[in-house]
Amino acid sequence: MISVKKVNNRPLNFLERIYLPEIVRGIAVTARHFFTNLLRPGNILTVRYPEQTIPLPGAANQRTRHRLKLRADGSPKCVACFMCQTACPAYCIHIEAAEYAENSVEKYPAVFDIDLSRCVVCGMCVEACPEDAIAMDTKEIPGGALTRRDMLLTKEDLLRNLPGEPSLLGASNRLANEYLEGKK
Amino acid sequence: MPKITIDGKTLEVAKGTSVLEAAQLLGVYIPRYCYHPKLSVSGNCRMCLVEVEKAPKLLTACSTEAADGMVVRTDSDKVKTARRDVLEFLLINHPLDCPICDQAGECGLQDYYMDYSRAKSRFAAEDKVRRQKRRVLGPHLVLDNERCILCTRCVRFCSEVTKTSELDVMERADHSYIDLKEGRSLDNNYTLNIADICPVGAWTSRDFRFKSRVWFLKKAPVACLGCATGCLAEAHHNENVIYRLLPRPNAETNTWLCDRGRMTYKAVQAGDRLAKGVIKNGLIDLEPALREAATRIDEAKAAVGVLGSPWLSVEDNAALALLAAGMKTANFCFDFKFETGIADGILVNKDPSPNAAGAARVKAVRGGLELQAFAAKVASGEIKTVLAEARAAGLIKDALKTSGARLITFATNKGDIPAGAYATLPYASYFETAGTFVNYQGFERRLEPVVAAPEGVKPFWAVVNKLGAYSGVLLRLDSADDAMRGLEKK
Ligand code: SF4
Ligand code: SF4
Ligand code: SF4
Ligand code: SF4
Ligand code: FES
Repeated sequence: MISVKKVNNRPLNFLERIYLPEIVRGIAVTARHFFTNLLRPGNILTVRYPEQTIPLPGAANQRTRHRLKLRADGSPKCVACFMCQTACPAYCIHIEAAEYAENSVEKYPAVFDIDLSRCVVCGMCVEACPEDAIAMDTKEIPGGALTRRDMLLTKEDLLRNLPGEPSLLGASNRLANEYLEGKK
Repeated sequence: MPKITIDGKTLEVAKGTSVLEAAQLLGVYIPRYCYHPKLSVSGNCRMCLVEVEKAPKLLTACSTEAADGMVVRTDSDKVKTARRDVLEFLLINHPLDCPICDQAGECGLQDYYMDYSRAKSRFAAEDKVRRQKRRVLGPHLVLDNERCILCTRCVRFCSEVTKTSELDVMERADHSYIDLKEGRSLDNNYTLNIADICPVGAWTSRDFRFKSRVWFLKKAPVACLGCATGCLAEAHHNENVIYRLLPRPNAETNTWLCDRGRMTYKAVQAGDRLAKGVIKNGLIDLEPALREAATRIDEAKAAVGVLGSPWLSVEDNAALALLAAGMKTANFCFDFKFETGIADGILVNKDPSPNAAGAARVKAVRGGLELQAFAAKVASGEIKTVLAEARAAGLIKDALKTSGARLITFATNKGDIPAGAYATLPYASYFETAGTFVNYQGFERRLEPVVAAPEGVKPFWAVVNKLGAYSGVLLRLDSADDAMRGLEKK
């Protein structure tokens, strides 16, 4: 069943119906901002994103552009288990798995695309990942783009990482780091 | 006959039936790892423990014979605890591999853990026993000894079904592991069944490795067209790509599927798949190829020979029969006599073609030449142009060679085209179009399309229909079923 919500709008009163006073009110708001910006630029509300950012309020901080975390040797922690792709409600993750010839982790993503034009920024992919390999903590808010291609994050885009990473969490990751240590 | 009561339900079973099988008949599922209906009972995994009245301890349902008056409980607290504890034992040393394990999603450990345990591990991941991982054994399999739960299904399969006994349990107690016997290689024709029966991800398929997660796959019933046995199978596919063939066990024909049969799906997606016509060696669009073929047929007039094929469905053979009738030629043949019977004692048939019996149905109605007579006519030059499916053309290749008759052939893959073919027309494989096949026992297999054919590629009967139209024979075929007119009495 489709749920229906009836909206009972208040009827317009006389002053609203003749429009003129409302137009004047609108112009007043515009004028107020214009003069604030002109005379006291410190009080401007708009920021020049992305050059300029402000701290994000509340939980918005926890869900920003995705990234794939790295291991100590710079390889992606992701083992192409497809959990995120399975959990994603927007079907915007596309993974193609491949096999390492040597590494004991065996599996890695040859292709890892996230189509941001479809992503609903729900964070399910992060929740689903058993390897702690994907995160949405870059604090970058994916914005508009001129082409669809610009909205597609490829593996290379996703591997752009935060300073001070490689993490040791995740089962396969533990094996991989042990393996790397053994090789040294 | 013993009368047994399981969870309050009573049933009379044949003597020798195990408690597990009796429960199955009653619709009570008892979890199991080492039990397999087609292998001998081993009773080593202890997953099937049940409570039997008057027995002091829990008994393994798979190895306990149902006795008269036996009262069994599978849902008591004692049984539930036992199941949880057995799983805990199995998981102590099990690696945390699910993210990279192809079995995930159809794994006995995962499923039973969710159904019967859900307990938190009391053992540290660091203390797990390490074993050899990722060993490529044989052309089709990878073995991961860490994931093995030592149920010995694989060992029993090799000694009881293929009787090749390549595998064995090495060492003893908690040092045990599965390995190849010394100097052996795992290259019998049934190895992929081991990956199927292994209840965990210890044996996995090299072909399917990392290609897809199993929960994305959709299942479609098909039959294997690798030989006349016509095993029932299941094609696992997703987004128009077939990923693997698995057996569909049935009482009549097969429990297993041979490795060669399992690989038959690969031709559908192979690089040499024909999407266009071929004239001599050059690719050409379908329409001009059809016109060219039709011109050559017109040239030859009554000296045209039509050869059916045991690799084509009944419908498509019938379409060829209709074409031969339309062209008013007496030179046609639907007679393929192969020796049939199981060649290796398991599944592979002596007859390499899937539908000789189906072609015989067309012959029964339409008559026509015997294969030898047809070949003789080709060799003597009486038949100047031969219309034949690629693999069937291979059956008369000597005759074609001696006379140099012009061969117009139908093929799905470039590699199938016989040497010296004049024109080749592409058609959709039986993963892409419907068709009926008859196996050596006379069982009919109706195949439905699983994936879409490459663009522009049509079913065989449609190609025949067009070829007919271009050479002035109107067959008016709109579907495979229309072609069945070829099986009506003239
Ligand atoms: S945030 Fe949500 S929609 Fe976006 S990729 Fe992750 S799971 Fe999919
Ligand atoms: S869930 Fe994590 S490990 Fe699995 S494919 Fe996604 S990012 Fe990779
Ligand atoms: S065998 Fe089963 S439990 Fe073990 S790693 Fe594979 S999927 Fe996971
Ligand atoms: S490899 Fe698989 S089938 Fe063989 S004993 Fe181990 S778990 Fe059983
Ligand atoms: S199934 Fe009965 S002991 Fe394994």
